Amino acid sequence: MFFPSLFDVIVVGGGHAGTEAALAAARMGNKTLLLTHNIETLGQMSCNPAIGGIGKGHLVKEIDALGGVMAAATDEGGIQFRILNSSKGPAVRATRAQADRSLYKQAIRRRLENQPNLWLFQQAVDDFTLSGDQITGVVTQLGVRFEAHAVVLTAGTFLAGLVHVGQSSYQAGRAGDPPAISLAHRLRELNLPVGRLKTGTPPRIDGRSLDYSVMTEQPGDDPAPMFSYLGSSNQHPQQVSCWITYTNERTHDIIRNGLDRSPLYTGVIEGVGPRYCPSIEDKIMRFADKDNHQIFVEPEGLSTHEIYPNGISTSLPFDVQYALVRSMRGFENAHITRPGYAIEYDYFDPRGLKSTLETKAIKGLFFAGQINGTTGYEEAGAQGLLAGINAGLFAAGKEGWSLGRDQAYLGVMVDDLITRGVSEPYRMFTSRAEYRLLLREDNADLRLTEIGRELGVVDDERWALFSTKRDAVALEKERLKSTWVNPRMVDVASAERVLGQAMEREYTLLDLLRRPQVSYQALLTLPGAGNGVFDPRVAEQVEIQAKYQGYIERQQEEIERHHHYEALHLPPDTDYSKVHGLSIEVKQKLAQYRPETLGQAARLSGVTPAAISLLLVYLKRNQGRTEKKSA
Amino acid sequence: MLQKGMAKTDTIAAVATAPGRGGIGVVRISGYQLSELVLHLLGKPLRPRFASLKKFLDIDGSVIDEGIALYFPAPNSFTGEDVLELQGHGGNAVMQRLLKRCLNLGVRLAEPGEFTKRAFLNDKLDLAQAESVADLIDAASEEAAKSAVRSLQGEFSNAVHEVVERLIHLRMLVEASIDFPDEDIDFLEAADALGKLSGVREQLQQLQNRAKQGCLLREGVHVVLVGQPNVGKSSLLNLLAGDEVAIVTAIAGTTRDTVREEIEIKGVPFHIIDTAGLRDTSCEVEQIGIARTWAAVDKASLALLLLDSREGMTSSDEAILARLPENLPVMQIFNKIDLLPREAGIEFDAGVKRIFVSAKSGAGMDLLRENLLEVAGWEQTGEGAFMARERHLRALDGAGACLRNAENNWRQLEFFAEELKLAQNELNSITGAFGADDLLGEIFSRFCIGK
Ligand SMILES: Cc1cc2nc3c(=O)[nH]c(=O)nc-3n(C[C@H](O)[C@H](O)[C@H](O)COP(=O)(O)OP(=O)(O)OC[C@H]3O[C@@H](n4cnc5c(N)ncnc54)[C@H](O)[C@@H]3O)c2cc1C
Ligand SMILES: Nc1nc2c(ncn2[C@@H]2O[C@H](COP(=O)(O)OP(=O)(O)OP(=O)(O)O)[C@@H](O)[C@H]2O)c(=O)[nH]1
Ligand SMILES: [Mg+2]
Repeated sequence: MFFPSLFDVIVVGGGHAGTEAALAAARMGNKTLLLTHNIETLGQMSCNPAIGGIGKGHLVKEIDALGGVMAAATDEGGIQFRILNSSKGPAVRATRAQADRSLYKQAIRRRLENQPNLWLFQQAVDDFTLSGDQITGVVTQLGVRFEAHAVVLTAGTFLAGLVHVGQSSYQAGRAGDPPAISLAHRLRELNLPVGRLKTGTPPRIDGRSLDYSVMTEQPGDDPAPMFSYLGSSNQHPQQVSCWITYTNERTHDIIRNGLDRSPLYTGVIEGVGPRYCPSIEDKIMRFADKDNHQIFVEPEGLSTHEIYPNGISTSLPFDVQYALVRSMRGFENAHITRPGYAIEYDYFDPRGLKSTLETKAIKGLFFAGQINGTTGYEEAGAQGLLAGINAGLFAAGKEGWSLGRDQAYLGVMVDDLITRGVSEPYRMFTSRAEYRLLLREDNADLRLTEIGRELGVVDDERWALFSTKRDAVALEKERLKSTWVNPRMVDVASAERVLGQAMEREYTLLDLLRRPQVSYQALLTLPGAGNGVFDPRVAEQVEIQAKYQGYIERQQEEIERHHHYEALHLPPDTDYSKVHGLSIEVKQKLAQYRPETLGQAARLSGVTPAAISLLLVYLKRNQGRTEKKSA
Repeated sequence: MLQKGMAKTDTIAAVATAPGRGGIGVVRISGYQLSELVLHLLGKPLRPRFASLKKFLDIDGSVIDEGIALYFPAPNSFTGEDVLELQGHGGNAVMQRLLKRCLNLGVRLAEPGEFTKRAFLNDKLDLAQAESVADLIDAASEEAAKSAVRSLQGEFSNAVHEVVERLIHLRMLVEASIDFPDEDIDFLEAADALGKLSGVREQLQQLQNRAKQGCLLREGVHVVLVGQPNVGKSSLLNLLAGDEVAIVTAIAGTTRDTVREEIEIKGVPFHIIDTAGLRDTSCEVEQIGIARTWAAVDKASLALLLLDSREGMTSSDEAILARLPENLPVMQIFNKIDLLPREAGIEFDAGVKRIFVSAKSGAGMDLLRENLLEVAGWEQTGEGAFMARERHLRALDGAGACLRNAENNWRQLEFFAEELKLAQNELNSITGAFGADDLLGEIFSRFCIGK
């Protein structure tokens, strides 16, 4: 049947990408349908119950700054919070939380169910409908046809998913969920560039069978930090600890002896797995000289005894899993509740996407999340948000929107994906961001909330809170800049205490705050320094901006220098074979991937600076021609 | 939607006249907001489009050269940007000094063809010229690539790569400790990051010192002509210069004041100084001249000891030789072979080169030029090699500065990391790109990371 009403946006898949996409599109006012296998698994964490971490926490803050829900849901579902790198500078600090699976899921589901303009429907999607190269809708397993202006596909690990445990394998989207087989076939027919990737998960354990007394406790931070800019610590449920144990030589022997039945080492698994998230068998083979590996014992939730042993992801046969788990300290009597496994799935070469995450091949079809070759909830959620916004813009006939590498980790990730493609599942790291000092967790709101407001995804509550903070920061900075401190006003003892030395001349408060050893709180105790601000988030921001000023200015200069060429538009119908002087290899590359801007072109592998100069000349010349024609 | 401001380019400079031509040399500078640069360089603002006679000032206020300065504000200039042209008298060496001064003021050395490219992009060239610009970029980049490869062969390249490798190793530790704080690996604590950094700095310093050799090419070689009176020093200078710059007579002790002349051999500048012949004398004027000779010797990077072939090496010559500074390379030139039955040629005496020439007939002059080039360290590279080397030196200097900043910031890991990254970016211009993914690959292959 044809479903009677027409949607602006259909989102396929209710994982982390899909839920952010659907919510964003609906927040903008689009009539949105979220279609997923199972409403019970909306917002489900397929793997470890944790959100954030270095680079990933940055993404979560950006999602939040743009009105997304991942941060808020984590504040409601988080049972252990930590700031990683807290001893290092603000740019590389990141928040990480252990989440209660079911609380997290509930928090997401409640938001979905209460979001105006959003409809939920439980059905597997088997097919797309097209008109020429334009998407028109989807067809579900029962043959129901839904029509929409734009479709966002976020099928995660489900496309032609294949689960491996030892020598046995079966088709699934993840353990306990059906795969998406028909849709995968259909996508292969559409000639989208497809590949296989692999990921894995450890066995889960009944926590009552563990001996925690021999493990090291790892408590959360106290006070627990918040993820959302709107969050408050009274949202946090009860907080619990994680524990640390180690593998040992015996564990490693057990694994080595089981390798002849490992799907990884017998060539059954073809997909490429992530190097930074290796299975335990990989770790032991690749780092044979290491005689133990650290294992984090993480609670899965407050209402369950299950724990997640982070660090022993494996697809070894169950008998080997059983033995290896019980070889670890504190795990001697461990009862496995769910075996570990590896999963192989289809992904699409993200070089086939625009920076809006729209496919270059099919108008109105957007891809987000794991199917773009990434891994991780945060990576998926951030892409979902971007794709959802763009699907909304597309449905409204508006121009697409994207973020630059200098604006957000989200911008870095999408640009990396669409220009470099992936050779293994892509995870965010701060070292991927060339403007790392600008892209901090603490200023994601200052970087993005105004943009989000313009796009219509930031609601009034967030906007009001943000505006107050932004203005307070500006005001206090201005005050520090214009308040002079005279050495005569400051007694030597105060100067030594706050500045570590006597003042030799007059300075502004801002100058003094820029010194590495001077804190904002201490500065305010100088005679004549005034009262300052009370809100710790404002104070923090003022202090960071002062301390980073030199570096911020330098990076900003560099951004400006590159900006013009970076954003220079390359028409999609550019005939690269006509560009004088380009090598054949470069011509082919450009023709194949059709970068949208000169900046993207420059980052394709093999494209040289000289090639960019030649392109520039070509563009200019053609522009001249068209101008002459139209004149 | 959400567009930012318009294009802003950085400022570039290059010697606009072909190297090796005498007369005037022009340094051309293009960019925006050049007024500050003008102030630093000329001391006073310039009137647009007026030729004014100015002193070109070095960083310490000393005068590099005097010449005509012309300022064309955008858009009415060759490139469409603000353009400053400095026309000096200088040969290559002076031009290079002027250029270096500009670079010190934050200006970047222009890529080959970059002025033309900018002119084109700013609508200063018409459509028909477009193809030729493309050709130019194509050729220039090929040329640049070639010269980069050429100068990257052998020891220099190995040394650069060694520095880069050590830098990568350090960065790997730093980035790993930032991105993977939860691992049970001491990336930095055990690794002595600061010690590693000073190791890299030291190695880079050595590399820079060696690269300064290449500086000879930019700065030129200071050659002093010494010898007894009447052996033909002034005659040789005139011959090399192709002009009667010094007085030549049969009277011993003709030259009193030092006579300077710059010549070029295959583009390499040689600053040749003719001096008063050395002998014991009671003439006060001549004594002063001889004192000046020794002063000139002190500043020279190469001495040509002239001798009369008919006499051979006399005890007076040996005395002069003994007085020359120990570390100063010396070539022995045996002149006036036309008076002997003897061909031009070269002889080795206990490892010392003796070149037999005639300043009168010109015999052996090609041989002399060849040997001058060889001593200057000039390898048979083609055009463009000089540009590439200049760039390399800049990159090494830039990397050195970043590493210095890194050392000053080592307590703040994210700044430390930033400076190391910038240092690597500088060196990337020599060795090719090394991106974030490469670095992560390096980390994952070395450490067992991930849960
Ligand atoms: C075994 C395993 C191990 C993992 N290990 C890690 C890890 O160690 N570290 C890490 O960072 N990440 C890991 N992940 C990845 C992480 O779970 C994903 O990156 C993240 O969930 C991706 O989000 P997503 O929204 O793209 O897809 P998913 O969360 O997979 O959600 C996809 C959704 O789409 C629905 N769907 C799919 N096809 C259809 C269809 N045809 N019709 C209707 N609905 C459909 C599904 O039911 C599901 O709700 C692992 C995942 C798995 C399965
Ligand atoms: N036959 C011959 N005569 C030469 C040659 N070189 C120089 N003379 C002559 O030697 C005399 C001295 O030449 P100068 O060039 O003045 O010698 P100098 O070394 O500069 O002498 P002082 O300046 O006095 O130290 C002149 O008469 C020259 O013409 C040569 O190669 N062959
Ligand atoms: Mg003389």
